[in-house]
Amino acid sequence: MIRVGDVLVSKGEGGVYGERELDGYRVWDPYRSKLAALYLVGTGIELPPDMKVLYLGAANGTTVSHVADYVEVVYAVEFAPRPMQDLLEVARRRKNVMPILADASCPEQYAPLVETVDLLYQDVAQPDQAAIALKNCVFLKQGGCLILMLKTRSVDIRKEPAEVFRDTLDILMSAGLTIVESTWLAPYHQDHAAIVCTK
Amino acid sequence: MQSCWFGDINAGKCTPFTGDTAAYARRVREFRASMDDFIPLDWQQAVACGICRDRAEYLALLQKVCIAGSEQAVREQYAAKDVELLQMVRTLDEMDTVTNVLSERVADWYQIRHPSFSRKYRRTPAHVLVKSISERNRERGGGGGALGKVAAEIMCLADARTALAKEVSARACEVMPNTSALIGGLVAARLLSHAGGLKKLSRLPASGIQVLGARTALFAHIRTHAPAPKHGIIFQHRRVHNAPRDVRGKVARVLAGKLAIAARLDFYRGCAVQSFLDDAQVRIDRAGTTNGEGKGQ
Repeated sequence: MIRVGDVLVSKGEGGVYGERELDGYRVWDPYRSKLAALYLVGTGIELPPDMKVLYLGAANGTTVSHVADYVEVVYAVEFAPRPMQDLLEVARRRKNVMPILADASCPEQYAPLVETVDLLYQDVAQPDQAAIALKNCVFLKQGGCLILMLKTRSVDIRKEPAEVFRDTLDILMSAGLTIVESTWLAPYHQDHAAIVCTK
Repeated sequence: MQSCWFGDINAGKCTPFTGDTAAYARRVREFRASMDDFIPLDWQQAVACGICRDRAEYLALLQKVCIAGSEQAVREQYAAKDVELLQMVRTLDEMDTVTNVLSERVADWYQIRHPSFSRKYRRTPAHVLVKSISERNRERGGGGGALGKVAAEIMCLADARTALAKEVSARACEVMPNTSALIGGLVAARLLSHAGGLKKLSRLPASGIQVLGARTALFAHIRTHAPAPKHGIIFQHRRVHNAPRDVRGKVARVLAGKLAIAARLDFYRGCAVQSFLDDAQVRIDRAGTTNGEGKGQ
């Protein structure tokens, strides 16, 4: 990952969401992007230039734009039309972003478009986040990596975040994935955890 | 046979799909692949297919298809009848909040300008005061200073609000005829806004519709076992808030039950069903009059 001093950055066309620029690089704000937060509180994984990424829950394309700066291609799946308008604008300015308006819990909707990927990144506000990730593992190559940004409050508002975290880890492990890293994203994001595992 | 966006692959042989970008996008959106034993597509088959020559060309073409497909889907979703109504009713509620806050502020300001003025014993709500300030401003030919101008703006906003409310009501009667017939266009539209759309509203249970808009009370109930809320937005309907206190919960329950059916009729049929409406009106009215006895039917 590229850093200028302690600041995480990426190299690409700026002005996507009013991000700062530093020595010609785009500053990757950990308060706005959970992936950036993961690189600061934990280790995360390297994003090599030949990487293919399936990104579930692409939203407005903030994090997508940074990921796209590093990798070869990002398949960006987003369900809601409003943020899709922004994501489309990001896609029009970047050659390697493939915007797909579809439901991440129905991979058959985008199966005809997506190839085998090296990284499955998921950031969706749904109660069955682990199940959605597992469904989408068909796109992940053997030995590929899954990064699950767990929104514990979306799983069950009545449960303790720590309990949701433990349960999710159990589900992923019992599905045969190997947990490489799991960490809370505090202080950048409250009640959000990042789980990195390999297939 | 495996189908992907650029063609169909049958026993290693590829039949390319031909058409313009929009046609490709439509093809992808009509697909429903089976996810059993699913193997993701291999981009090199697109080269074999003769769709493209190399990786860069493949990605450029795929991006065009993806963008076209997503644009089509966004346009279609926005064309649904309830989407604009949602924005209209949310704007309306926001305007209410804004005019109320501004009116109170202007009334406070006015009292500073007139030290001997008091609203006590006059029963002058802020908006009436704002109206008189704005009228005085007009009589003086706009000489009321900033206070007069702000008051006049609030009156303008109030006019826009009235016009918008009429439009919301009319649109609601068109989009959700059954629900609107039961509780009026405005309240129906507010239910729609809280549920997040007609599809979502039609899939809510009656108990959910009953407490829609009473989120704080509902979570207080779930967390601390405080009494359950009897009604949310549907309280705004006269048959609920005019009902005697002891049957109000019952009226709300019966009304919500009928609303759940009405919302489904609106979503799946989209036209008013008179026989249902007649029965429902009678049933709801009876819930408001029977006092304790004659529970259920």
